[in-house]
Amino acid sequence: MQVEQVDFVAIPTQDLDRAIAFYRDVIELPQSPHATNEFEAGNVTLAIWKPEDLGYEFKDNGQGDVALRVPDVAAARAELEGKGIEFVGETLDTGVCQMAFFADPDGNSLTLHRRYRPREVGHGES
Amino acid sequence: MRWSGADVQIEKTDFVAIPSQDAERAAAFYGETLGLRSDEHSQYEFWAGDICLGIWEPAKMGMEFQPSKNGHVAFHVPDVAAAREELEGKGVTFNGETFDTGVCHMALFEDPDGNDLMLHNRYAPYSGDSAA
Repeated sequence: MQVEQVDFVAIPTQDLDRAIAFYRDVIELPQSPHATNEFEAGNVTLAIWKPEDLGYEFKDNGQGDVALRVPDVAAARAELEGKGIEFVGETLDTGVCQMAFFADPDGNSLTLHRRYRPREVGHGES
Repeated sequence: MRWSGADVQIEKTDFVAIPSQDAERAAAFYGETLGLRSDEHSQYEFWAGDICLGIWEPAKMGMEFQPSKNGHVAFHVPDVAAAREELEGKGVTFNGETFDTGVCHMALFEDPDGNDLMLHNRYAPYSGDSAA
């Protein structure tokens, strides 16, 4: 068994246009040159799909947060709040990183994340 | 471009959270069954290429457990059929037949907590078409 990398993480939606607008215009990820429903989050592609189109019941990604690295969690949070995004609770400081939790319009869990402590001395967070 | 100073500035994906009701069981699955590289600092973090999968137990943070559905993590393998056969030999049950989308193969399965995963291999070169 040889897993080489993660090709993409699926992002389920009930409204493709709404989801595409969110990832493109609100959190401002570069759109894939190959597919309008795919966005490049650095090292991984977020692939938006509509489960109902394939006969699956829609469910969101639950607690499978995609943790997106930003240079400054507080600044990015303020920027998104200015665009009407509501965060879940206060920004969490784990002692090694900061995390701010929010969701896309379909309820998929996302996290703004920045580790500020070097990994050599840290433990438990990427 | 949209990358001006005041913007959100997402640089990369640091990790994908894997919710679990039994972190030991989940760690055995990702580390031994899937054979992912374990993090040198954390027994509950595993690496697939440069993405970290972080196992966590929502119940320990006072949250009701809810598996990740439809948010498949797509593991790139050189040969989906071979990898599927190997996992089936380890007792992993797949959901349906392997898909051939015309550009890639996808085989859907779940981890022991019910989180959706897939084996994935794109065999067609990119040429302006529209699949992952």
